[in-house]
Amino acid sequence: MELTDAGLVARVLVDEDQHAFGELVRRHQSSVRGLLRQLTRGDIALADDLAQEAFVRAYKNIRGFRGEAKFSTWLYRIAYNCFREDARRRKELVGINEEQWQAEQDPQTVDPGLRHDLMHALSLLPLHERSAVLLCCQNGLSHDEAARALDIPLGTVKTNVLRGREKLKKTLAVWAQ
Amino acid sequence: MNEQVEQDWLDRKLQEAAPYIEDDGFTARVLQQLPAPRQAGQFLRPFILVGMSALASALTYVLSDGGRFILVEMFRLTTIPTLWVVAFALASGMLVMAGGIFAAMSKSSHIQS
Repeated sequence: MELTDAGLVARVLVDEDQHAFGELVRRHQSSVRGLLRQLTRGDIALADDLAQEAFVRAYKNIRGFRGEAKFSTWLYRIAYNCFREDARRRKELVGINEEQWQAEQDPQTVDPGLRHDLMHALSLLPLHERSAVLLCCQNGLSHDEAARALDIPLGTVKTNVLRGREKLKKTLAVWAQ
Repeated sequence: MNEQVEQDWLDRKLQEAAPYIEDDGFTARVLQQLPAPRQAGQFLRPFILVGMSALASALTYVLSDGGRFILVEMFRLTTIPTLWVVAFALASGMLVMAGGIFAAMSKSSHIQS
Protein backbone atom coordinates (compact mmCIF):
# COMPACT_ATOMS: atom_id res chain seq x y z
CA MET A 1 0.00 0.00 0.00
CA GLU A 2 1.34 3.43 -0.91
CA LEU A 3 2.21 5.62 2.06
CA THR A 4 0.61 9.05 2.39
CA ASP A 5 2.74 12.18 2.51
CA ALA A 6 2.15 12.34 6.27
CA GLY A 7 3.37 8.75 6.66
CA LEU A 8 6.53 9.49 4.71
CA VAL A 9 7.14 12.64 6.75
CA ALA A 10 6.77 10.58 9.94
CA ARG A 11 9.43 8.16 8.66
CA VAL A 12 11.78 11.04 7.93
CA LEU A 13 11.17 12.46 11.40
CA VAL A 14 11.55 9.24 13.35
CA ASP A 15 14.21 7.35 11.39
CA GLU A 16 15.77 10.16 9.34
CA ASP A 17 14.78 7.91 6.44
CA GLN A 18 16.21 9.57 3.35
CA HIS A 19 14.51 7.03 1.07
CA ALA A 20 11.17 8.22 2.42
CA PHE A 21 12.21 11.80 1.74
CA GLY A 22 13.28 10.75 -1.74
CA GLU A 23 9.77 9.48 -2.35
CA LEU A 24 8.37 12.84 -1.23
CA VAL A 25 10.72 14.59 -3.65
CA ARG A 26 9.66 12.26 -6.49
CA ARG A 27 5.99 12.98 -5.77
CA HIS A 28 6.27 16.74 -5.63
CA GLN A 29 9.24 17.61 -7.86
CA SER A 30 7.13 18.22 -10.94
CA SER A 31 4.73 20.69 -9.33
CA VAL A 32 7.45 22.52 -7.39
CA ARG A 33 9.75 22.77 -10.42
CA GLY A 34 6.79 23.79 -12.58
CA LEU A 35 5.79 26.54 -10.17
CA LEU A 36 9.34 27.85 -9.98
CA ARG A 37 9.72 27.77 -13.76
CA GLN A 38 6.65 30.00 -14.01
CA LEU A 39 7.86 32.31 -11.26
CA THR A 40 11.29 32.65 -12.87
CA ARG A 41 9.65 33.25 -16.25
CA GLY A 42 10.94 30.09 -17.81
CA ASP A 43 14.51 30.10 -16.51
CA ILE A 44 14.76 26.32 -16.20
CA ALA A 45 18.26 26.16 -14.74
CA LEU A 46 17.50 28.74 -12.07
CA ALA A 47 14.13 27.14 -11.30
CA ASP A 48 15.74 23.73 -10.82
CA ASP A 49 18.46 25.17 -8.59
CA LEU A 50 15.80 26.86 -6.47
CA ALA A 51 13.72 23.68 -6.37
CA GLN A 52 16.76 21.73 -5.19
CA GLU A 53 17.42 24.34 -2.52
CA ALA A 54 13.76 24.21 -1.46
CA PHE A 55 13.77 20.44 -1.02
CA VAL A 56 17.04 20.47 0.92
CA ARG A 57 15.66 23.23 3.13
CA ALA A 58 12.46 21.23 3.61
CA TYR A 59 14.50 18.23 4.76
CA LYS A 60 16.55 20.26 7.20
CA ASN A 61 13.45 21.95 8.65
CA ILE A 62 11.04 19.04 8.47
CA ARG A 63 10.48 19.24 12.22
CA GLY A 64 8.81 22.57 11.50
CA PHE A 65 6.10 20.80 9.49
CA ARG A 66 3.32 20.31 12.01
CA GLY A 67 0.78 18.80 9.66
CA GLU A 68 -1.64 21.72 9.96
CA ALA A 69 -1.51 22.18 6.19
CA LYS A 70 -0.87 19.72 3.39
CA PHE A 71 2.77 18.82 2.83
CA SER A 72 2.58 20.27 -0.68
CA THR A 73 1.35 23.63 0.69
CA TRP A 74 4.25 23.71 3.13
CA LEU A 75 6.61 22.84 0.30
CA TYR A 76 5.21 25.57 -1.98
CA ARG A 77 5.80 28.05 0.80
CA ILE A 78 9.45 27.06 1.11
CA ALA A 79 9.88 27.13 -2.67
CA TYR A 80 8.27 30.57 -2.87
CA ASN A 81 10.54 31.85 -0.09
CA CYS A 82 13.59 30.47 -1.93
CA PHE A 83 12.46 32.29 -5.07
CA ARG A 84 11.90 35.58 -3.23
CA GLU A 85 15.21 35.41 -1.42
CA ASP A 86 16.99 34.72 -4.69
CA ALA A 87 15.15 37.56 -6.41
CA ARG A 88 16.10 39.88 -3.58
CA ARG A 89 19.70 38.75 -3.83
CA ARG A 90 19.65 39.51 -7.53
CA LYS A 91 17.96 42.85 -6.84
CA GLU A 92 15.43 42.19 -9.54
CA LEU A 93 12.35 41.29 -7.57
CA VAL A 94 9.97 40.46 -10.38
CA GLY A 95 6.91 42.64 -10.37
CA ILE A 96 8.74 45.90 -9.72
CA ASN A 97 9.94 46.25 -13.26
CA GLU A 98 6.83 45.15 -15.08
CA GLU A 99 6.77 48.01 -17.57
CA GLN A 100 10.35 47.38 -18.60
CA TRP A 101 9.64 43.65 -18.90
CA GLN A 102 6.63 44.28 -21.10
CA ALA A 103 8.57 46.71 -23.28
CA GLU A 104 11.27 44.10 -23.78
CA GLN A 105 8.81 41.58 -25.14
CA ASP A 106 8.70 41.48 -28.90
CA PRO A 107 5.20 40.46 -30.02
CA GLN A 108 6.71 38.93 -33.17
CA THR A 109 8.57 36.32 -31.13
CA VAL A 110 5.48 35.07 -29.29
CA ASP A 111 4.39 31.62 -30.41
CA PRO A 112 0.90 31.65 -31.90
CA GLY A 113 -0.15 28.57 -29.91
CA LEU A 114 -2.54 28.99 -26.99
CA ARG A 115 -0.14 27.42 -24.53
CA HIS A 116 2.56 29.87 -25.41
CA ASP A 117 0.15 32.78 -25.33
CA LEU A 118 -1.03 31.64 -21.94
CA MET A 119 2.52 31.33 -20.62
CA HIS A 120 3.35 34.72 -22.05
CA ALA A 121 0.25 36.29 -20.52
CA LEU A 122 1.16 34.69 -17.18
CA SER A 123 4.68 36.03 -17.33
CA LEU A 124 3.31 39.53 -17.79
CA LEU A 125 1.36 39.39 -14.53
CA PRO A 126 2.94 41.06 -11.52
CA LEU A 127 4.55 38.57 -9.15
CA HIS A 128 1.86 38.75 -6.46
CA GLU A 129 -0.91 38.02 -8.98
CA ARG A 130 1.10 35.42 -10.89
CA SER A 131 1.98 33.43 -7.78
CA ALA A 132 -1.63 33.49 -6.53
CA VAL A 133 -3.00 32.42 -9.94
CA LEU A 134 -0.39 29.67 -10.28
CA LEU A 135 -1.09 28.21 -6.87
CA CYS A 136 -4.89 28.45 -6.98
CA CYS A 137 -5.74 27.94 -10.65
CA GLN A 138 -2.89 25.78 -11.85
CA ASN A 139 -1.90 23.78 -8.77
CA GLY A 140 -5.41 23.55 -7.33
CA LEU A 141 -4.74 25.05 -3.91
CA SER A 142 -7.65 26.60 -2.06
CA HIS A 143 -7.44 30.32 -1.31
CA ASP A 144 -6.73 29.45 2.30
CA GLU A 145 -3.87 27.11 1.37
CA ALA A 146 -2.42 29.67 -1.02
CA ALA A 147 -2.56 32.29 1.75
CA ARG A 148 -0.52 29.95 3.95
CA ALA A 149 1.94 29.18 1.17
CA LEU A 150 2.46 32.82 0.26
CA ASP A 151 2.21 34.04 3.85
CA ILE A 152 -0.28 36.78 2.99
CA PRO A 153 -3.85 37.43 4.18
CA LEU A 154 -6.68 35.40 2.69
CA GLY A 155 -8.41 38.51 1.30
CA THR A 156 -5.24 39.52 -0.53
CA VAL A 157 -5.03 36.12 -2.17
CA LYS A 158 -8.63 36.37 -3.34
CA THR A 159 -8.04 39.83 -4.77
CA ASN A 160 -4.82 38.76 -6.50
CA VAL A 161 -6.45 35.69 -8.05
CA LEU A 162 -9.40 37.76 -9.23
CA ARG A 163 -7.22 40.46 -10.77
CA GLY A 164 -4.82 37.94 -12.30
CA ARG A 165 -7.69 35.96 -13.82
CA GLU A 166 -9.25 39.12 -15.26
CA LYS A 167 -5.98 40.12 -16.91
CA LEU A 168 -5.45 36.63 -18.32
CA LYS A 169 -9.00 36.51 -19.65
CA LYS A 170 -8.56 39.88 -21.29
CA THR A 171 -5.26 38.86 -22.89
CA LEU A 172 -6.62 35.51 -24.05
CA ALA A 173 -10.07 36.74 -25.06
CA VAL A 174 -9.48 35.77 -28.66
CA TRP A 175 -8.85 32.13 -27.68
CA ALA A 176 -11.91 31.88 -25.45
CA GLN A 177 -14.31 32.68 -28.26
CA MET B 1 -19.52 32.83 -22.57
CA ASN B 2 -20.57 33.44 -18.99
CA GLU B 3 -18.24 34.21 -16.10
CA GLN B 4 -18.09 30.73 -14.54
CA VAL B 5 -17.55 28.94 -17.86
CA GLU B 6 -14.82 31.39 -18.74
CA GLN B 7 -13.17 30.85 -15.38
CA ASP B 8 -13.33 27.07 -15.70
CA TRP B 9 -11.91 27.27 -19.21
CA LEU B 10 -9.03 29.40 -18.01
CA ASP B 11 -8.26 27.12 -15.05
CA ARG B 12 -8.38 24.06 -17.29
CA LYS B 13 -6.04 25.63 -19.79
CA LEU B 14 -3.67 26.68 -17.03
CA GLN B 15 -3.56 23.12 -15.71
CA GLU B 16 -3.06 21.72 -19.20
CA ALA B 17 -0.25 24.20 -19.78
CA ALA B 18 1.70 22.73 -16.86
CA PRO B 19 2.77 19.30 -18.12
CA TYR B 20 4.37 16.72 -15.83
CA ILE B 21 8.11 17.37 -15.54
CA GLU B 22 10.14 14.15 -15.73
CA ASP B 23 12.44 13.55 -12.78
CA ASP B 24 15.59 13.07 -14.93
CA GLY B 25 17.87 12.61 -11.93
CA PHE B 26 16.47 15.57 -9.99
CA THR B 27 15.58 13.46 -6.93
CA ALA B 28 19.04 11.87 -6.93
CA ARG B 29 20.65 15.31 -7.00
CA VAL B 30 18.52 16.46 -4.07
CA LEU B 31 19.36 13.33 -2.06
CA GLN B 32 23.07 13.94 -2.67
CA GLN B 33 22.71 17.39 -1.14
CA LEU B 34 21.06 16.18 2.06
CA PRO B 35 23.12 16.15 5.25
CA ALA B 36 24.21 12.67 6.32
CA PRO B 37 21.78 11.08 8.77
CA ARG B 38 22.95 10.82 12.34
CA GLN B 39 24.33 7.38 13.13
CA ALA B 40 22.77 5.29 15.87
CA GLY B 41 25.98 5.48 17.93
CA GLN B 42 25.76 9.28 18.06
CA PHE B 43 22.73 9.07 20.32
CA LEU B 44 24.72 7.07 22.88
CA ARG B 45 27.80 9.29 22.71
CA PRO B 46 26.88 11.65 25.62
CA PHE B 47 26.01 8.69 27.85
CA ILE B 48 29.30 6.98 27.02
CA LEU B 49 31.23 10.19 27.76
CA VAL B 50 29.52 10.71 31.12
CA GLY B 51 30.03 7.04 32.04
CA MET B 52 33.72 7.12 31.15
CA SER B 53 34.20 10.34 33.13
CA ALA B 54 32.51 8.84 36.18
CA LEU B 55 34.63 5.69 35.90
CA ALA B 56 37.85 7.70 35.56
CA SER B 57 36.92 9.84 38.58
CA ALA B 58 36.17 6.77 40.68
CA LEU B 59 39.49 5.17 39.67
CA THR B 60 41.42 8.34 40.48
CA TYR B 61 39.73 8.55 43.87
CA VAL B 62 40.58 4.97 44.74
CA LEU B 63 44.15 5.10 43.42
CA SER B 64 44.97 8.35 45.21
CA ASP B 65 44.60 7.07 48.73
CA GLY B 66 40.94 7.89 49.15
CA GLY B 67 41.26 11.29 47.57
CA ARG B 68 43.56 12.62 50.26
CA PHE B 69 45.08 15.03 47.77
CA ILE B 70 41.68 16.70 47.42
CA LEU B 71 41.65 17.56 51.12
CA VAL B 72 45.21 18.87 50.87
CA GLU B 73 44.39 21.04 47.87
CA MET B 74 41.23 22.37 49.50
CA PHE B 75 43.25 23.35 52.51
CA ARG B 76 45.71 25.15 50.24
CA LEU B 77 42.84 26.99 48.63
CA THR B 78 41.81 28.48 51.98
CA THR B 79 45.23 30.05 52.29
CA ILE B 80 45.02 31.91 48.95
CA PRO B 81 44.55 35.72 49.41
CA THR B 82 40.96 36.92 48.91
CA LEU B 83 42.02 39.36 46.20
CA TRP B 84 43.31 36.48 44.09
CA VAL B 85 40.04 34.61 44.44
CA VAL B 86 38.07 37.71 43.40
CA ALA B 87 40.36 38.28 40.42
CA PHE B 88 40.08 34.65 39.39
CA ALA B 89 36.26 34.73 39.62
CA LEU B 90 36.15 37.98 37.60
CA ALA B 91 38.45 36.60 34.90
CA SER B 92 36.44 33.38 34.69
CA GLY B 93 33.20 35.33 34.38
CA MET B 94 34.59 37.49 31.59
CA LEU B 95 35.93 34.46 29.76
CA VAL B 96 32.53 32.73 29.90
CA MET B 97 30.79 35.93 28.78
CA ALA B 98 33.19 36.34 25.82
CA GLY B 99 32.54 32.73 24.85
CA GLY B 100 28.78 33.31 25.01
CA ILE B 101 28.98 36.46 22.88
CA PHE B 102 31.14 34.68 20.32
CA ALA B 103 28.74 31.71 20.18
CA ALA B 104 25.72 34.02 19.81
CA MET B 105 27.39 36.01 17.03
CA SER B 106 28.41 32.93 15.06
CA LYS B 107 24.92 31.44 15.52
CA SER B 108 23.18 34.61 14.32
CA SER B 109 25.45 34.90 11.26
CA HIS B 110 24.72 31.22 10.51
CA ILE B 111 20.94 31.86 10.71
CA GLN B 112 21.24 34.98 8.52
CA SER B 113 23.19 33.06 5.88
